[in-house]
Amino acid sequence: MRLLLLLLGLSVLAGCAVEPVEAWERDYLARPEMAWDPDALGSSYRNHVHFSKEASNGGASVGGGGCGCN
Amino acid sequence: MSLNVKNKRALTALTSAALAIPGMSASVQAASVLTETVVQYKASAYREADLDSSKLSGGSLERYEIDTQQVRAQLPLGENTDASIEFMYETMSGASPWFILPGQDGPVQVMSGATIHEERKDLQAKINHLLNDKTVISVIAGVSDEKDYFAVNAGLEALYEIPDTQLTLTAGIGYSDDELEPTDGSILPDRIVRATRDSTTAFVGLSQILSKTTVVQASLSYSLQRGFLSDPYKKVWIDDQANTINDSRPDDRNQFVAQARLRHFLPDIQAALHLDYRYFEDDWEVASSTIEAAWYQNLPGGWVFTPSLRYYSQTQAFFYAPYFFSARGDGFGSADYRLSPYGAISVKLRLEKRWQSLDLHAEWESYEASADYSLDSVDLENPSLVEFDILSVGLNWRL
Repeated sequence: MRLLLLLLGLSVLAGCAVEPVEAWERDYLARPEMAWDPDALGSSYRNHVHFSKEASNGGASVGGGGCGCN
Repeated sequence: MSLNVKNKRALTALTSAALAIPGMSASVQAASVLTETVVQYKASAYREADLDSSKLSGGSLERYEIDTQQVRAQLPLGENTDASIEFMYETMSGASPWFILPGQDGPVQVMSGATIHEERKDLQAKINHLLNDKTVISVIAGVSDEKDYFAVNAGLEALYEIPDTQLTLTAGIGYSDDELEPTDGSILPDRIVRATRDSTTAFVGLSQILSKTTVVQASLSYSLQRGFLSDPYKKVWIDDQANTINDSRPDDRNQFVAQARLRHFLPDIQAALHLDYRYFEDDWEVASSTIEAAWYQNLPGGWVFTPSLRYYSQTQAFFYAPYFFSARGDGFGSADYRLSPYGAISVKLRLEKRWQSLDLHAEWESYEASADYSLDSVDLENPSLVEFDILSVGLNWRL
């Protein structure tokens, strides 16, 4: 049920007014701090730490390995 | 040459220029590959706080310390292909939670007696190939090696820019094949000698550019783990037997994740806001919510200061308890703090200095887990919930 509510919320968000943005108008979006994961090494490190210490993991990517049993 | 053709060529040139901006492919997920070589390095020191002596029944108060070195190189391979390779090396030492006893003032932890020394090496590689101006396919492969654990993984990802929509579709599938060979498995009669597990993951995501300053992404992920999913180093106290049994978990686990992310730039103050939410649930009855917010503030002189906050809360697995009065009928049981109900708050501060071709950064993170931070009420807090600090320094070098 919570999952359905979340999907509904995301659909509403995606349906927000979309302003046309041409490719040459994407300089703000292209800034390094606007990346989904601006620090690739930091992101893979933190994912591994949280995977090792919490019961949850996963997101919009595949890959990775290791035990994290400590 | 007609004006129309000239305009089209100008548009193509501008588009190519925009897509060649460093970080462009990662930020708005445009279909492009890298045009420059980047080398990154990061060193991190992870330190867990000692266990509270009032919660200890036996073993060491000292917990884990992990030192990590990471190197990553990304380089173009022709006009339509790029590759990245990442190597991680970790050394670990400390004591680990073993089992929990009932105490007069609540559960008390018994830690492993001996200090454990381990190392882990992890190598991940990824090749991205631009099929056409709207589509990128990626191949991923990796290997992770520890004295008692070996894993190989592979995956495929695809990215497609849906024409005339500002929408980008991403999807992927991955597989990991893992083998455990626990330390002292051939000596201790109640410890397994060898076991295997595997994991299959699939995800689909959709990102939408909402404006010149805002982009959002929603994704769904499913993962199936099969095989030996118990922890061979942990035990569970059974009170009516006055003894322990091995940690025992179901041999499959279905996990679902829904995630939403927002990136918003504020030109007037040269800052970027990151907001992420992740919902997780599985058929072990674990459900969790993770909320992260980060503020990237550009400062004069190429400095960037980034404070961030992360909140996490999870429910317990159906077979978890700190200890059991009698063994469960289904044979399952775990006292692992990672399967217990709790919440966690993490604060991170990062300072970065950017030059023309080199960036340096330092960051500090402090993480504290507690039953008090849980969204739901918790009857008995697991005594070995972690508190840790991480100090990292790193560099990005664009060649």
